[in-house]
Amino acid sequence: MLTVENLHAGYGRARILRGVSFALAPGEVLVLLGRNGAGKSTTMKALVGLLPATGRIRLAGTDIARWPPHRIARLGLGWVPEERRIFPDLTVAETLEVGRRPARDGRPPWTPDRLFTLFPNLGPLRDRPGGRISGGEQQMLAIARTLMGNPRLLLLDEPSEGLAPVIVDQMQAAILALKAEGVTILLAEQNLPFAARVADRAVILETGAIVWNGTMSALMNNPPARARHLQV
Amino acid sequence: MDLFLLQLLTGLAGASTLFLVAAGLTVIFGVTRVVNFAHGSLFMLGAYIAWSILSRLPRSPEYFVLGLLAAALATAAIGAVMELALLRRIYRAPEMLQLLATFGVVLVVQDAALWLWGPVDLAVSRPPWLRGAITVAGLRFPFYDAVLIAVGPLVLGLLLLLFHRTRWGLLVRAATADRDMVAALGVDQRWLFTSVFALGAGLAGLGGALSMPQGSANLHMDLAVIVDAFVVVVVGGMGSLSGAFLAALLIGVLQAFGIVLLPKITLVLVFLVMAAVLVLRPHGLLGKPQAESRAEAETLAPIRPAPAILRRLGLAALLLAIAAPFLAGPYLLTVLTEAAIAVLFAASLHVMMGPGGMASFGHAAWFGIGAYAAAFTAQGLGTSMAVGLLLAPLCAGAVALAVGGLVVRMSGVYLAMLTLAFAQIAWAIAFQWVELTGGDNGVLGVWPDPWAANPRTLYWLALALCLGATLLLRRLLYAPFGYALRATRDSPLRAAAIGLPLPRLRLAAFAIAGAAAGLAGAVFAYAKGSVFPTYMAIPHSVDALVTVLLGGVQTIAGPIVGAVAYTVLQSWLLTSEFWRIKLGLLILLLVLAFPAGIAGATHAAWLRWRGRSA
Amino acid sequence: MTALAVHNLHKRFGGIEAVADVSFTLAPGELLALIGPNGAGKSTCFNMLNGQLRPDAGRVLLAGPDGTMDDITGLPPPAIWRLGVGRTFQIAASFASMTVRENVQMALLSHHRRIWRVWHAASRHAPHAANALLARVGMAAQADRPAGELAYGDLKRLELAVALANTPRLLLMDEPTAGMAPAERAALMALARTIARTDGMAVLFTEHDMDTVFTTADRILVLNRGTLIAEGTPTEIRANPEVRAVYLGENQA
Repeated sequence: MLTVENLHAGYGRARILRGVSFALAPGEVLVLLGRNGAGKSTTMKALVGLLPATGRIRLAGTDIARWPPHRIARLGLGWVPEERRIFPDLTVAETLEVGRRPARDGRPPWTPDRLFTLFPNLGPLRDRPGGRISGGEQQMLAIARTLMGNPRLLLLDEPSEGLAPVIVDQMQAAILALKAEGVTILLAEQNLPFAARVADRAVILETGAIVWNGTMSALMNNPPARARHLQV
Repeated sequence: MDLFLLQLLTGLAGASTLFLVAAGLTVIFGVTRVVNFAHGSLFMLGAYIAWSILSRLPRSPEYFVLGLLAAALATAAIGAVMELALLRRIYRAPEMLQLLATFGVVLVVQDAALWLWGPVDLAVSRPPWLRGAITVAGLRFPFYDAVLIAVGPLVLGLLLLLFHRTRWGLLVRAATADRDMVAALGVDQRWLFTSVFALGAGLAGLGGALSMPQGSANLHMDLAVIVDAFVVVVVGGMGSLSGAFLAALLIGVLQAFGIVLLPKITLVLVFLVMAAVLVLRPHGLLGKPQAESRAEAETLAPIRPAPAILRRLGLAALLLAIAAPFLAGPYLLTVLTEAAIAVLFAASLHVMMGPGGMASFGHAAWFGIGAYAAAFTAQGLGTSMAVGLLLAPLCAGAVALAVGGLVVRMSGVYLAMLTLAFAQIAWAIAFQWVELTGGDNGVLGVWPDPWAANPRTLYWLALALCLGATLLLRRLLYAPFGYALRATRDSPLRAAAIGLPLPRLRLAAFAIAGAAAGLAGAVFAYAKGSVFPTYMAIPHSVDALVTVLLGGVQTIAGPIVGAVAYTVLQSWLLTSEFWRIKLGLLILLLVLAFPAGIAGATHAAWLRWRGRSA
Repeated sequence: MTALAVHNLHKRFGGIEAVADVSFTLAPGELLALIGPNGAGKSTCFNMLNGQLRPDAGRVLLAGPDGTMDDITGLPPPAIWRLGVGRTFQIAASFASMTVRENVQMALLSHHRRIWRVWHAASRHAPHAANALLARVGMAAQADRPAGELAYGDLKRLELAVALANTPRLLLMDEPTAGMAPAERAALMALARTIARTDGMAVLFTEHDMDTVFTTADRILVLNRGTLIAEGTPTEIRANPEVRAVYLGENQA
């Protein structure tokens, strides 16, 4: 689904990513782990075309390196940013409409009704402006907005960050439901227990380079690696 | 009572044109975050193009309407070209640089219009079917005014429908909040921006075209209308269409009555109303607090004392400057005197814009107030130059304190527009209050004391005062006050949380910058022997801005380098015909080539070089 | 002994009661966690304590140096800071155009009421005091680095040093460990705890990471829909069925 080879990226003079390579198979959930500033968000922004990057990025067989963001999105890369970036004045229904794009490969398209089933909290808030719902609801709306574009691959940047534990549980259920539907997901997380419950494989980043990669269960059964790279 | 009603209707008719321009400005700002200084130029182009079309068409109603729409469409096309060729490249640049770039367009359009349509005012005689009058409450009222009054609400309604009932409008509203997010959702925001810019330009063009049957197309309408439009947009609230409509009604009616009742101070009246609105509602009538702009914040390097090599270079330059009268001829000495004054003028603006983080588009106001203060002390009081040089910065500083009290709480673009509006008013007072200022003829005979009358002595005096004051300003930036000011710019939230009084710090910086510019103005007045309203005009404010941006806002040596470079450049440029288009193109070139300024670009190159050799 | 006393705080936003009748006290040296679902009113509560928001009703009392309780309700943030309330932000904020030491010196200049000086070099002000504060949070080695280049965890420590510059009697920390790696979280909160104990400084913090909350806090307040639904020790809160239902969920056993 996605192949990344030797990705370099950064802001201005600051080089954040130094040669990152990984791949994702269809239907897989891969998590990027690492501390703040390790390059998780930078990787995602480089993938969606919002940061200038060098290296090879292939999505569903097409090389998308240096494409503008909207073309990457139309090819099927959906990104849910860490800061959520909700449109504060648009209602929940309008926000979903902004994200709407045609369905692909004969799969059933995402509709507001299907999304309100996935995120039951959002249904009653249909006409509420995005700026006037809680942080947890905004996170759900951000994911729902991106799903309206029927992406092949979903990029979730720290979906559990700053959320109440009970909302994190709901988020986990939603991600597992998406996984059951066969949605391919690239996740960035700092919350290891959360990642362990949803991801198949893990990649650990440290100062812009990959220092560990393997299956999630291998990581959970390898306390020395966790201690060395994640300090847990 | 009849007069009242008639003036009210005239005001409402004027408000419609004003609303069209302001609506375009506010729509463009909402989405692109660019304050389009050239919006007045688009209005002017709309008027000229309407003249060219209407004077060639049959004078029947259907052709008249078609002609107006064709003019609006042509202006929209020009706007689209402007977006594609210029703005698209600078969306990520600092907002003052964007404002400056659009001012470059103003200059280019002025000379292009002069070349295409000539210097004479052009009027379209009203076709017979438009000359009629309708009767309202027993009063005969021009039919065309009635048409105009209807156009405003009609366009507002159509725009609201467009933005709230179409997918295009929904995407535009989303992009207003967060353009990158919209792009990441698969929307081609570049096309969206171009279309929004074309829409805004078309509205300005329509406004210009609609104003033709009442007035005439002339080369001054661009700056006149842009100041009004800024006021309307600020009073209405940036980005709010309904707010712009209400504000246009308010300002339009105010102007209509002002012209009849208090012709001399109409502009002042407008400014006072704006002040009152902003005191009561800091974000305008229907505006909301501006969202933080989404552009990745540039990380600013700490300012540090200059490295030894730069200090030595500076010292050498200073020695050369002191020795200049022995080396240079009289013409070069005049240029050098102006360069010294330009250094202080730019350094004073830099205090506000750099460490203060406050953009100003009307810095010439303080320069002009200082110059007039010196002129009045010389002529009115007949006292010595020393008194004038002392009073000028005090006056300028005091007025800056009063104006600053009103505007320093505003965010970047608001502040830039408000300072511009104030400078325009100061200019209008100097221009219109002929009894006091001599109007366009200026105040003449502002001569220095006999001991300083010799050009060499005068040069040394200017050098000592201007460089002395500049060095004091520099010292200030390294002192606790300068640090505290920079702290409020870096993080207002953190600054407040460690007890820094943000408004008072900014106000002090505003007043100090005003006083320093006032001193520069006074020195200039004595050096030239005369004072004119042009000292306060927009181009002079732009001079300071170009100088600072040319030098680079975030380097302390920037204003000095910029002032010298710009003065030399200007003394060569201004002597030629069509200087506006040359200066305009130069500004555009600089903005596109050096978004960090000359000193900033040199600094970056130096860092790269050092990085490679290390 | 009481460091902070909050009585019947109320705040409405457009008809919605964001904070309703919240009361609690805080002792010197105590670490109190304020937790609850997103949108429960934690930030509103916080912002009323440090002056960013004015309460509609209720009183906030802060112990002065002599033990008397000063009414600080509705004072602006700089005034509250002067009375001895420090604050760190959810998204760490520093003065990016200054070095690490200059950031602390800036706070010291403000504390010593020297910001209106226009002649002396700011970077010469109280360097030893600044260095001592940086040493306290383990940032002495980075004193000369530009603050804009710091790693996130270091930025949080710098923020703590800045907040300590006026030797506050109350420190407000808004999600102090958000965005930090687990080991850094534990270290930062251990640091806050040590300072609280040695200086007798009261700490009120909000936090979503339950490990941090349960290991750091002496006492926990739980807010839901603007009202306090529980108050107690970590063990009591963990066992509270209502808190488990509205906030902790199933994975936080």
